[in-house]
Amino acid sequence: MVDSGFGNKVISLIGVGKSYRSYTRDIDRALEILTGKVRHYQYDALQPLSLQVAKGEVIGVVGKNGAGKSTLLKLLAGTLQPSSGQLEINGRVSAILELGASFHPEMTGHDNVYLTCAIQGLSRQETAAAYEAIVNFAGIGEFMQRPVKTYSSGMVMRLAFAIATHVDPDILIIDEALSVGDGVFARRSFDRIMEFRQAGKTIFFCSHSLYQVEALCDRVLWLDGGRVRAEGAPAKVITAYGDFLQQESAIVQPPLVTATATATATATATATAEAEAEAASTATTVATPVAAQAVPRVMAVKVRVDGTEARVHAVQSGKSRIEVEVRFLSVAALPVPSVGLVILGGDGRYVASMGTVNDGIALRAGADLTGSVMVTLPDFPLLKGCYVIEVYLLCEQGLHIYERVRQVAELNVEQRGLELGIVTLPHQWQVL
Amino acid sequence: MTFLLRLLRLCADSLSIPLLAPVKHRALVRMLVQREIASRTSGTALGRLWPLLQPALQILGFWFLFAVVYDMRNVRGPGFAQYMLLSMLPWLCFSEVLVRATGLFREFSPLFTRSRFPLEVLPTMALVMPMLVYTPVLVLTAMWLLGLVAALKAVVVIPLLLVWTLPLVLLCAVAGLFVRDFGQALPFVLTLLMYLTPILYFPDMLPAGMRIWLWLNPMSDWMLLIHAWLNGGVLPLESVARLLALWLLLLVPCWLWFRRTELHVRELL
Repeated sequence: MVDSGFGNKVISLIGVGKSYRSYTRDIDRALEILTGKVRHYQYDALQPLSLQVAKGEVIGVVGKNGAGKSTLLKLLAGTLQPSSGQLEINGRVSAILELGASFHPEMTGHDNVYLTCAIQGLSRQETAAAYEAIVNFAGIGEFMQRPVKTYSSGMVMRLAFAIATHVDPDILIIDEALSVGDGVFARRSFDRIMEFRQAGKTIFFCSHSLYQVEALCDRVLWLDGGRVRAEGAPAKVITAYGDFLQQESAIVQPPLVTATATATATATATATAEAEAEAASTATTVATPVAAQAVPRVMAVKVRVDGTEARVHAVQSGKSRIEVEVRFLSVAALPVPSVGLVILGGDGRYVASMGTVNDGIALRAGADLTGSVMVTLPDFPLLKGCYVIEVYLLCEQGLHIYERVRQVAELNVEQRGLELGIVTLPHQWQVL
Repeated sequence: MTFLLRLLRLCADSLSIPLLAPVKHRALVRMLVQREIASRTSGTALGRLWPLLQPALQILGFWFLFAVVYDMRNVRGPGFAQYMLLSMLPWLCFSEVLVRATGLFREFSPLFTRSRFPLEVLPTMALVMPMLVYTPVLVLTAMWLLGLVAALKAVVVIPLLLVWTLPLVLLCAVAGLFVRDFGQALPFVLTLLMYLTPILYFPDMLPAGMRIWLWLNPMSDWMLLIHAWLNGGVLPLESVARLLALWLLLLVPCWLWFRRTELHVRELL
């Protein structure tokens, strides 16, 4: 157990574990409750865990599916009870787990706000005080007196998110998505969560997006098979977790690894790619087309290899010069976005990435709100193979994804020499 | 000593937690009642009148059958139709509560498995809607049959009966969750119990050899009490004592069973 070093403690877990019980017959459960005699088989979803969380900490939870992440979040959210140990929470908890789950379709949006707030423990007066802010944030004022069954799924999500983040929680629990909905609302919901972080609220954030976990969290907990595998500084834990995923991948896919395993530099990146890919399949924002929403969007991407523009390129390893030009449309109400670029291997692994935020480049937009940026990769260092370029348009902090443009170009790299691996490192030989 | 303290604390909890839950969570109870009304009446022309109309129409049906068709208004004295109708309403309320209690956990599982929902509110939810429905219907029926004084007295009948039903609600909720057959068998058991309770007959109409059932069946005590109370008679203190003792005896173990179920119920549903 690592002591946080923060001030006030808001979450305390002392030996908290969760076991699910399995019974052959339903009545065995009743008999066990009545008599106290054990009649169940047990499956440990979460081994006894001790953790102290201070006010204002942002805790990231990573781990594979079935590692116990959701169980931990449900224990903290109060929807599950621990089988062992002591769990103490000081403050109001709000969870972004299953948005809209408590809504009743026949009730109006107005009544569902009051119902959900009442479940959260708010009095009518407290709900009335928060009501206007909830409606304004959700942006569905004219629908509030209509039954929720007439809402679109997007409207339900917006209203549920607005409630979850306007009940003045001390602790916010987020499972996977840092933003909900799409377009403008996705950005607003992301900003809302960032406001919580800046306001010194405690956040428990569980995600497969290792990039976001590392960027946002003060401390990371890595769960594996219901046990804490590592806990501590994000960079350290995420690197260890990435290595672990790479090893797992090596066990699952031996032929693939045999072909490319020499590139140890990509080990963590590969693991991250898999995790990000998994996140992409669950997070709502990553692959969602932005369409006509008033958020920044990519207008055009041009990829030139040695001055020639195309979608499929033949590239000479160590010689070709690659230029990627991204043209984007900004939005007056929002800061100018940032741009990221990822090079993936033919098997979907992240081989390299670069971003304007990471490199300290501030983008500009003209009077017509458009802007452009170009990144140049001279003497392309990757060795033979097929690679794909992806472009991301992100918020000014490089965290929230506005748009992801897949497969903007395919690079078929050829090489003359007999080097192995996927990259040529700058090197010097010296005969001694 | 520790055991005694724990027992005392358990008794205090058994009395206070479920009984104070509607006060402590009044905002939630209010919204859940609205939720239930919306579920039951949405899309109907008469809307919120339906929950009240259903028992009222049932009573009118019984009145038509017994007072008009069988012409039993003057059988064994002028009060039989009155007796039957004023007995039937509390019984309908009682049986409706118990049948609903068997499905209570499943009914509210979408709420407590996905949000921080206080489970101690559930027994209240089985009781509060029948109370809101049957109390005005009983008051109106008492007014119609016995006059204003009886109507005023009738206000407390259903709430008291339902508070007494609380341990049985806890028991049925847990039993209905774990033993599905329980929910299927209960309506039949209640029908049988209704015939063993002096509702469709005066207590003295039961053959002498079967009168033991009146003593064993607490609902017989309730019928005695209700009619004594509404008709201005002397309250049978023996019945009061027996009902109170049974309530206290059942409440602690039933509450304990309900609380122990909490750990299981969030996993099971």
